[in-house]
Amino acid sequence: MADGPFAADRTREQLRGAAFRLGLVVATLLGIVSLAVLVANVLKDAVQPATADPGWYAVVALGFLLPTAVAATAARRRPATWTVTRRALGALVGGLVLGALALVIPRALDPYDVLVYALGLVVPTAAVIAYDRVGPDSPWTGPALPLAAVAGVAGAGLLYGPLRTAVDVLAVWVVYLLLVALPVGAGVWAVARRRFGAGRGPRALGAAAVLVPGMAGLGGLFAPYDPVLAVVFVATLAVPTVLVVADALRGRAGAAGLLVPVVAVGSAGAALAVADRLGLHGPETWLTWTLLTENFSTISPERAGYYPQIVGSILLVGLMAVMVFPVGVAAAIYLEEYAPSTGLAGRLTQLVQVNISNLAGVPSVVYGLLGLGLFVRLAGQPRGLLYAASATLGLLILPIVIVSSQEAIRAVPDSHREASYGMGASRWQTVREVVLPSALPGILTGTILALGRAIGETAPILVIGVATSVTSPPSGLFAKATALPLQIFAARGEPDPAYRYGVLAAGVVVLLALMLSMNAVAIVLRNRFQR
Amino acid sequence: MTEDKGPEPSFSRSSVAVRTERAYRLLLAGCALLTVVVTVGIVLTLVQNTAAFFLHVDPWSFLAGTQFAPFTAGTYGVLPLVSGTLVVTVGSAIIALPIGLAAGIYLSEYASPRTRAILKPALEVLAGVPTIVYGYFALVYITPAFQALPIFPFSAQVLAPTTVALGGTEHVIAYTFVVPPLRTFNALSASVVVGIMIIPMVSSISEDALSAVPDDLRDAAYGLGSTKFDVSTKVVVPAAVSGIISSYVLALSRAIGETMAVTVAAGMSPQMPYFPDVLRNFTDSVQTMTAAMVQIAGAESLGETHALDAMYAIGLTLFVMTFAFNVASEWVRQRFREVYE
Repeated sequence: MADGPFAADRTREQLRGAAFRLGLVVATLLGIVSLAVLVANVLKDAVQPATADPGWYAVVALGFLLPTAVAATAARRRPATWTVTRRALGALVGGLVLGALALVIPRALDPYDVLVYALGLVVPTAAVIAYDRVGPDSPWTGPALPLAAVAGVAGAGLLYGPLRTAVDVLAVWVVYLLLVALPVGAGVWAVARRRFGAGRGPRALGAAAVLVPGMAGLGGLFAPYDPVLAVVFVATLAVPTVLVVADALRGRAGAAGLLVPVVAVGSAGAALAVADRLGLHGPETWLTWTLLTENFSTISPERAGYYPQIVGSILLVGLMAVMVFPVGVAAAIYLEEYAPSTGLAGRLTQLVQVNISNLAGVPSVVYGLLGLGLFVRLAGQPRGLLYAASATLGLLILPIVIVSSQEAIRAVPDSHREASYGMGASRWQTVREVVLPSALPGILTGTILALGRAIGETAPILVIGVATSVTSPPSGLFAKATALPLQIFAARGEPDPAYRYGVLAAGVVVLLALMLSMNAVAIVLRNRFQR
Repeated sequence: MTEDKGPEPSFSRSSVAVRTERAYRLLLAGCALLTVVVTVGIVLTLVQNTAAFFLHVDPWSFLAGTQFAPFTAGTYGVLPLVSGTLVVTVGSAIIALPIGLAAGIYLSEYASPRTRAILKPALEVLAGVPTIVYGYFALVYITPAFQALPIFPFSAQVLAPTTVALGGTEHVIAYTFVVPPLRTFNALSASVVVGIMIIPMVSSISEDALSAVPDDLRDAAYGLGSTKFDVSTKVVVPAAVSGIISSYVLALSRAIGETMAVTVAAGMSPQMPYFPDVLRNFTDSVQTMTAAMVQIAGAESLGETHALDAMYAIGLTLFVMTFAFNVASEWVRQRFREVYE
């Protein structure tokens, strides 16, 4: 075969094919590898791994990584054990993050104000739901819910004076109890009811999830600790952890999985203590608590932090989620389930659809011009307020939310809808009871990914005039906004290299971490509910 | 002998249910219509404020002006900004178009399903990194890395001064190839990061177009004795060319509208293009349209200038350009699509 008349040709062909293939692989990897190198550089600058003793790494590797890896590998062998491990880790990490958010956000906005508006939101909607359950059939109770929510918040704004005087009577920790422990208790009750069915047990569990943090807060009157911290972390960290542990011990199947977090936390503490004892010091990293707790300082890089910007970004994204999610999902439902596809109205639907994909192609900076024109030049508001920044970014991601929600809704098989119609359900009933529940994971995933994109957006909020020199997080909807990427932009010109290669690198790492954790939530959601 | 049947059964919905349905439909339709309102809002704000700008500044001096100095000279020529945008767009296209297409071919024709399942999301990550972070990368890592290369600056005499007699008169011709020194703010590293950013745009859309080519065509080519290389380059790529071009145009539109990375990396010096010293366009600082908008929005005080209105005029120019590109992309896709039955 090797020496036919076309042997040379064949070799040349093979060589060319192999070279082409190699070229394609290199091209595909080029972008990914460049980004990986850049991220590795910024991580190196932020962490400063070279400043640590080699012995410190040895101690951490042997004392922490090795036992944790061994425990995790052992737990992975049995699915039941691994499930318990994942749940326990989720309760710990999720509880810590949730607790930090529940502590920091009301503190920035003033907890009493948050309570006033939360009451405005909850009381009218609860009243409408109660009327729907008890009162006569009415076509308006369903659509009235969102209106009641909006009107309730607006009403709370109007009645702010008397309401605020009323809630001012409460101690701070009681406010946090109402804001944090009450929703946690409701969540516990809902989860338990789904697991065990309606009854006394779930109700008792939910009540306990509120009462125990309450006792912790009450204890602050007698013992010298901060009752607010106690209430928040007992509610968000201790309650879920205890529930997960109790559930694992009751089931017995995978209780050994609980050992992994214990080993991880214990060995980390032990390794760090040993390293300290031996006089080995870790890296002089820029990733310190200062970053999360201090204001940005242009004088001392060691004391520069991003506290107001991080809280500002979280508030921005949270408010955006509240505004965009209902509107985007509603638009997607209309386009997929209601909109006519033929005739003049069908043309119109097509136009709306084309318009949405065009909106997704509009440069983000142009949305900034829209926001500036709408809120500042037309409405005469001051520049750079939180609600305006949030709404501007919300409009930016609205088309993305709509398109991904449409895809999720389209993925629900038609047979489900037909079964529902066959049983006499109306269109809305079908949407609410059949389509939305199975599309929700997909919708949430798409929305969270879009929100993660929005957290890094800088141009639109820069154009509407969000100030870079802010020293406190926004104190309300109508206060000056601030955002993490904006501070990175503003500080790029600091002459001291400690900023460029230290504080800024750390800021970039924090921004990427915020984004990644949102994406991680989206991926977990998708994996959990994928069918 | 009549039997009491009770009330006549009704098969129509109760009026309550009908009205509920109508209320929900209205509520949902309102949300869908909001997107149209957003578009109308964008166009109206841009046009209205641009009109206000043209009351003070001659449209011709905006569209054809070669100097942009709103704060100092009060001149609002948009051409230097368009030039800056085009420089960065061309630079990023040189990087992203071939790489993106190659990645698209690899993913569609060569990669195993498992490899594709890993590489595709990894490529998407390139578009997900915040653009301000790309700007930081360009300024802090890429530009210094380029500056360390020996080719900045570089000059080589290609053609020594030679006297040529042409039609009775004597001309001295000479050519020296010059690479100017790389500035701290430069269009080159901005192009590199924007290029990296838009790779997934090209790769994912062109991959879709390539995978949509039916297997019959590939099988026929294999049957004629073609190699995989031949099939990929001479059959599949030509068959998918409309989708590929459409992805190119869309990626260019994205590069034109890119803001933070180019503002941080390319700086804020509006510049008409250098010619014939073409390389200097990339080694010097330029200002794109988007960067000019950021500069105006971030200015401490605008004084008595019309800069804020000028921002809208630049924004409208940008909007029209990207809109034209998006429409062109869709048109190419529809018009030149090969339909296989």
